[in-house]
Amino acid sequence: MNKWWSLIFCFVIQYGFSQAEMPQFVLKDLEGKQVDLQKISEEKTVILSLWATWCVPCINELEAITLHYEDWQNEFDLQLYAISIDDPRTVNRVRPMVRGKGWKYKVLLDTNNDLRRALGAATVPLTLVVRNNKILYKHSGYSPGSEDILYEKLLEFSR
Amino acid sequence: MLLYLPFLAFSQENLNFYGSLESNSQWLQDDEELEFTAPPENFRSNNYFTFNFEYQGFTAGLQYEAYLPTPLLGYDPRLEGNEIASYYAGYKNEILDVTAGYFYEQFGSGLILRFWEDRQLGINNAMKGIRLGFRGIEHLELTALFGEQRVGFETSEGTIGGLDVNLDLSSWAGAEAYDLGLGASVVNRFQNAGEFENVPASVTAFSGRVNFNFANFFSELEAVYKQPDVLVYNRSITNQRETFGGSAWLLNFGYAIPGFGINATLRRLENFSFYSDRLAEGNQYNRQLINYVPALTKQHDYLLNNIYVYSSQPRLLLLTSQRQAGEIGAQIDLFFSLPKKSFLGGKYGTKFEFNYSNWAGLDSKFDIPDNTYTSEFFSRGETYFREVGFSVRKRWNKEWSGIYSITDIKIDEGVTIGSPLGFYFINAGIGVIENTYRLGRGRSVRLELQHLWTKNDRGNWAGGLLEYNFSPTIGIYAADSWNYGGDPAFHYYNFGGSYSHGSARIAFNYGRQRGGLICIGGVCRYVPENTGLSVNLQLSF
Repeated sequence: MNKWWSLIFCFVIQYGFSQAEMPQFVLKDLEGKQVDLQKISEEKTVILSLWATWCVPCINELEAITLHYEDWQNEFDLQLYAISIDDPRTVNRVRPMVRGKGWKYKVLLDTNNDLRRALGAATVPLTLVVRNNKILYKHSGYSPGSEDILYEKLLEFSR
Repeated sequence: MLLYLPFLAFSQENLNFYGSLESNSQWLQDDEELEFTAPPENFRSNNYFTFNFEYQGFTAGLQYEAYLPTPLLGYDPRLEGNEIASYYAGYKNEILDVTAGYFYEQFGSGLILRFWEDRQLGINNAMKGIRLGFRGIEHLELTALFGEQRVGFETSEGTIGGLDVNLDLSSWAGAEAYDLGLGASVVNRFQNAGEFENVPASVTAFSGRVNFNFANFFSELEAVYKQPDVLVYNRSITNQRETFGGSAWLLNFGYAIPGFGINATLRRLENFSFYSDRLAEGNQYNRQLINYVPALTKQHDYLLNNIYVYSSQPRLLLLTSQRQAGEIGAQIDLFFSLPKKSFLGGKYGTKFEFNYSNWAGLDSKFDIPDNTYTSEFFSRGETYFREVGFSVRKRWNKEWSGIYSITDIKIDEGVTIGSPLGFYFINAGIGVIENTYRLGRGRSVRLELQHLWTKNDRGNWAGGLLEYNFSPTIGIYAADSWNYGGDPAFHYYNFGGSYSHGSARIAFNYGRQRGGLICIGGVCRYVPENTGLSVNLQLSF
């Protein structure tokens, strides 16, 4: 058993602190079209935000980013994908909520939480910055000001 | 260590590793005021470690789970010990997708089949078997699966086979203006009838779906029929092994444009629970669920909003003590916003949210001595739950933003405590004010003030939560739900904090857990009242 643990430990050390890659995933958008997560970051920087309609901090984060979104898009040539982990109970609220709030993000659905599991998101929000399939930044949770750190990271990665 | 070297060499290629670690522990304490005596195993923890790798089209992975020395209070006691609880290997290309081992799956909206995991609820009903996905025909998706369902660290006695087909008609027709799709599923459960006569070994459910979107309108209809099966109450077959078929109808439609969105969901369930073991029907740990029939109500985030929560009532019960045939009802959500920099919206805009849900039993006549009943298709029986809610979200200035919400609820007491329905109702009103003040450089204060008014049950509650964030990565909070209308009045206090770094997060909480149903995603788990310290750790790589 000890051998296993040391093996696991080595992996955690190596991959926990190196640039991890996005796993292979295809999710559907609100129009039912398939979006390959390994392709979306090929030409631009993408922010992936795992959120849910019932998660107040997630909505706070997306609302906070909305205020800066156009500026960020101009500055960094980026796209935000708001990936809803709402399950069949609440997934029908996603479309009216996104439109009703006037968000301009692309929306993807992870209804059975396969991506959430792969990314190890025990809690949401989980925010990632990805470019060329490399996960450059990950942040779990939201409190006011998280979006400023996200902006600083985007600046850092654009250099 | 030597074992590790080949992997290092490999990792430079297209090999990709990912996984996560989650650990939730609690130390339970005696609390005389709460009349809670800590069990002999007063330290408990649930731990999960997942590890996956991908190499070109190949994937494999495992999940190790350890419940040491026993699972957290309220979790399925069958989850004792530690094991490599699930593992899988698969291959995927543009045409085929094959998985062997444990996997998760959902057909349509899950009404006929959903295998999923929710660690907070202690649900993991993954299937152990084989799944085949076929995408060789354009516009058509086909999935077939066969296997047994995970129960604790074992698998179900019943075997499940399923087939799901989805056809994208609009893309087949080359239509751009609208979106039209069809879907169909068949799910079969086979379980030996054993010594029983007149008990069907094989029960099959059939589902048909259609979705249609045009311009800013969207709609979806699903109908499911389940073959007759016996009724079960507390692991015993009731009603002299008489069998009853089941059905489900789900209609969802809405309209959404920038700044405005509305959605309505209507659902009717009649004798519609489906388990991989017939005797598991209605079990409190949500074991062996094949299909997913969540409560279609708004899922709330605030403490006092989560006291009176609806859970869906799909079952047929023909007992002298309990008579119900299913549920019928609707949920409506409306979102709209006043744009920023407009006269009414102000500098930052204002966002509104309205929700209404109303669920009732089927309008039925029961004949208990003869084991029969009749039900109307489209009329309502007794009300089980009704909720009206309205909330406003407003950012006042650069520093200060708020959320203000009111909710009015009527609920059958039997729903909240899991007892027979139709005796007492609880009427309650809830108001919440949440204010966040930014102090600059990532520091912020958040204050939630809540109140619940009711003349029923335990009377009025006042709630408060104060949170201070030193930075976006570190924060502390204190919260109290004060049942001052109760006899005696009672505080459920909690305080804690969290620290996050990248994807890693550690959180601790000390306090009293209000007992009752903990509901996530419309499925509930009963948690007894308790006091103690809990620590949660998560990490992904």
